[in-house]
Amino acid sequence: MLGFLSSPVCLTVIWFLSWSLHHSCAQISTDEVSGVHYGHLGKNVTLACGKSQRIPVVWHLNRSSVLPWHKVASDGALVLLRVDHSAQGIYSCYDNRGLLLHSTKLRMGYPPGLLSISCQVPSHAHVRCSWVESIKTFLPVQYNASLGGIGQDWKPCVVDVSRKHCDVYDPPFWQTIHTLRVTVTNALGSETTDARLKLHELLKPDPPESVLVKEIEGYPRRLMVLWKSPPSWPLHDSFPLLFQIRYRPVGSVYWSEIFSEHSPAVVFDALAGHLHQVQIRAHDEVNTESQWSEWSPMLLIQPWTAVYTTTDPPTEEPFQDYDFPFNEKPETSTEKSHNPALVDVGNLVLVILLVLFSVVILITVPSLIYVLWVRQRRRDHGTKQELTSMVKMKSMPI
Amino acid sequence: PAVLLDSSSSLLFSLLLAQLPVFTSASPVPQRRPTDMDKLSNQTKNLMKLTQELLREHAFDSDVEPHRFRSLPEMSNRSANDFNNLELKPTLSQLHADLKLYEHHFEWLNKVSKKHHHPGVPKLVEMIREMKSLISLLHRQMQRVEAPRVAPATPSLPPHLPYQFDVLQSSHELLQHFKLFCDWAYRAFISLKPKVTAVQ
Repeated sequence: MLGFLSSPVCLTVIWFLSWSLHHSCAQISTDEVSGVHYGHLGKNVTLACGKSQRIPVVWHLNRSSVLPWHKVASDGALVLLRVDHSAQGIYSCYDNRGLLLHSTKLRMGYPPGLLSISCQVPSHAHVRCSWVESIKTFLPVQYNASLGGIGQDWKPCVVDVSRKHCDVYDPPFWQTIHTLRVTVTNALGSETTDARLKLHELLKPDPPESVLVKEIEGYPRRLMVLWKSPPSWPLHDSFPLLFQIRYRPVGSVYWSEIFSEHSPAVVFDALAGHLHQVQIRAHDEVNTESQWSEWSPMLLIQPWTAVYTTTDPPTEEPFQDYDFPFNEKPETSTEKSHNPALVDVGNLVLVILLVLFSVVILITVPSLIYVLWVRQRRRDHGTKQELTSMVKMKSMPI
Repeated sequence: PAVLLDSSSSLLFSLLLAQLPVFTSASPVPQRRPTDMDKLSNQTKNLMKLTQELLREHAFDSDVEPHRFRSLPEMSNRSANDFNNLELKPTLSQLHADLKLYEHHFEWLNKVSKKHHHPGVPKLVEMIREMKSLISLLHRQMQRVEAPRVAPATPSLPPHLPYQFDVLQSSHELLQHFKLFCDWAYRAFISLKPKVTAVQ
């Protein structure tokens, strides 16, 4: 037996077998997988055995003779019936002597469907549109996108395939309606989706950046808010922004707000000695139909608090001697009154003063009228007495 | 009583005196006189507001843009970056020509709206009046900086609008275009303001 195995004939057979086996495996994995065949999930797929006319042929899937539901056509083509994902793999056909004739890779999926497109317009100079596929295709896709309008050229929208969005820089913004056209293509077909956009209504700046809130020394009811315009917004004078600042003492449910066109802005009616929440957002100052940005992250700040060295703390703010560094005084409005527990002491004092003033007026005016009336009455009474005495004097016998 | 009278009147007097700072602070602070460019931008903003009101109150909002007016000022070539190098004289001349063209369109719309008894006519009349005022103010500014006058394009207007629906749709189309034009014009005026000061 050992002698037979070591005989030259046997060694030649073993060498030939191992060479042919190795060779055929290499062929399947590289050269002979002639391409990728794409099939529509749920439908029949026909795989031809190359250009070979040699029949009968034997089909293998991933080197296994177990195949999904199928039939073999008269020309040797393999017809896979109602194919699902499990049918994917490398299909090889062999002749009756086991010689590899053809090999192909099968990938299953769907043709693309319509896209659901949404666009963000962070400034007049930038439009970003992103999309979601209505159908998961399971196949590699390509996108082609462009922005156009009535009577204007199409401007390419630069696609980021992995993030499924595209960007248009410096679009012709002042158009009533724009159309974003995205064509998605895969091996099974293509689909074009048009989205009609009103850029002036979609305009929504990014939130202001580098927001900072500071206390103002010597002013227990003031806060200074500083910020920078969003970097995506054009710096040019032609694009003014309006900023809304909202603030409230921690624990209150009602916000107060001020509007300003420039940084910094000063809050004049903070609640002394309380921690405040402050946020800011931006809006295009010209186009009222555009949207407010999102609010900036919440900042917490407490107004300046005096460190008292004497027993009698000052009760009034030193308004008069402060040289205010800003040329504008923001308008202040409060949406609703504060929580009763947090009623502003300053406002309360003002209300009391007003009430006192009204009471004084109400007392003074009737008193004056009464005094005048009394004086008049006295005068009349005096005249009457004089007349009576004169009559009496006249009637007296001389 | 005389003492009472005296004290009351003195109290009243002192109260009035106390109110004096309030009255004085309420009186208007002397402000910088607005320049013609300020007036131009303010009037443009006012026109934009009127346009928005008309759109809100009377126009027919449809997603289908009929594209009935083919002679409206060209806006498809104007983008945000253009404001970086806007030239004073050509821009003023172009804005004047554009406004004249819109004036023709809105006068036509006024005529057909009256025919169809459109309820937005009074506001439309007000808008046209504002537009004329803006045009004359702009013309004055052009003369001041010696900007040439450009002949406006000939308007091509729909010959006949048989139904109220057509009037509403036309109104919507014109107002939408004009609103965006005003947005652009306002930005142009505030952008050109320093250039006018440099010329004068």
